[in-house]
Amino acid sequence: MTQVQGAAPVLPRTPNRLDPIPGRRSLDDQTLAMIVSLASEVTILRARLDAAERLLTAANIFAPDAVDNFTPDAAAQAARERQRQHSMAKIFRPLREAAAIDLATLSSPEKVQP
Amino acid sequence: MTSPSPKGIVEARAAQAHPMIALPSHDELVEQLFIRDLKQFVMAELEPAQQRIAEKLEAAIQPQASNDPVGALRGQMEQVGSFGTWLSLKRESQRQLWYAVTDCVERQAAELQALGQIDNPKGSLTIDPDFQAPDYITMGDIHLMPGGNAYDDGTLLQGAVMDRGGAVYMLGRNGGMLNDLRGQTAMAHLLTIAPDIKPDRILDMGCGIGTSTVPAALCFPDAEVHGVDVGGSMLRYAHARAEHLGAAVHFSRQSAERTSFPDASFDVVYSCAMLHETSPAAMVNILAESRRLLRPGGVAIHLEVPLLHTFGDLWQELSAELEAQFNNEPNWRGALSVDYAQMMRAAGFGDVRAGYQATAFNARLAAKKFGDTSDGVFRSWFVTSGRV
Repeated sequence: MTQVQGAAPVLPRTPNRLDPIPGRRSLDDQTLAMIVSLASEVTILRARLDAAERLLTAANIFAPDAVDNFTPDAAAQAARERQRQHSMAKIFRPLREAAAIDLATLSSPEKVQP
Repeated sequence: MTSPSPKGIVEARAAQAHPMIALPSHDELVEQLFIRDLKQFVMAELEPAQQRIAEKLEAAIQPQASNDPVGALRGQMEQVGSFGTWLSLKRESQRQLWYAVTDCVERQAAELQALGQIDNPKGSLTIDPDFQAPDYITMGDIHLMPGGNAYDDGTLLQGAVMDRGGAVYMLGRNGGMLNDLRGQTAMAHLLTIAPDIKPDRILDMGCGIGTSTVPAALCFPDAEVHGVDVGGSMLRYAHARAEHLGAAVHFSRQSAERTSFPDASFDVVYSCAMLHETSPAAMVNILAESRRLLRPGGVAIHLEVPLLHTFGDLWQELSAELEAQFNNEPNWRGALSVDYAQMMRAAGFGDVRAGYQATAFNARLAAKKFGDTSDGVFRSWFVTSGRV
């Protein structure tokens, strides 16, 4: 029973009984679930941006091709460059870390072939 | 899948067939469409590759090496990496569905609760607070719906989750937001075998949120229609939904295995895709109960998803078995591999039929097509029926 008196009701989110999927580590499924959620969020964000553009166009605040024809000035270009690099580093951090660990392992003295 | 309206998606409450359905915000609608499309992607883009892998592995299985060819195929498939990924993503899409729909329902909880207050109802609602749901309902949440079918927090919100979730789950192939084609098809079967029937009392066993019950009430407006199921929240929602649709239905919280109704008190007893959510022992009890409740001349109808042997290949059978295990369908193999004609005769029915009824959008207007072969999933439903 999850309803709290006087508060908004809260319904359960985790189903009873989730059999393990053969050959899958729990971590694999956790990662997959997070990717699906992120894909869902990106899809929602993109649709919301699309709605905003269309509404601004309909209100004559934008021309229909305003975003596609937008040319950032030098300062804007630099800021956007930093944003892209930041995103890249953040998203692919695990791959960089894994490669660094592999490299460190191979570089340690006991791993060097005679 | 239904094609989008040329006017776009209309999600205003007034535009719905009934106002109880939870309405999504802009972002919630996109989220639900994403999940629908993800499920479609898993089914149409990923699953065919698994089917081709299964066909290759199946060819290498020696027929004499195993008396469980589905198990043998499963063992081989489990060694394939993409098989596990496909299965994980399929289950995750289902979990995303309930998560998203629950958010949507919680946001408008107060409005839905207010809409559920019905003045001068045509039907009724009886909820036994001491009801104990059977083990097969509580041992795993059916379809992974968190909280399960028997959930009862005193509100109707779990019913709202089931309704909105069901429509997204069925990808619009079961009557859109009304989700009522199984009930229409059961009534179409009744009119196929008894075209002139005028039942006084009808019972829908395992009625859920009443999607299969309302078609009976609308098809036979002079009949007294009852629905029983195990969930208090579902039944509160079913009651409100039916009233808003103008259908007089009497809902009560009971097990279909043994109801409180007297012997010989109904002319028609039916169920829609319920038996595979029970147990082998419960199926026997439910058929016996439907026999007990019928008056002389009465008709029992039990509608199910297509039986396993109609799939015709090992992959389809394995795929169904995986659905049963990882989507929590407690009696999938039991319900879809029995000899229904024999079970109905053993329960005391005569004039027994077992076959496929063409899906009906409107029971009265539909072609009354019933025969041995299925036209495919969602185009036909397996039906067994018998008379007292």
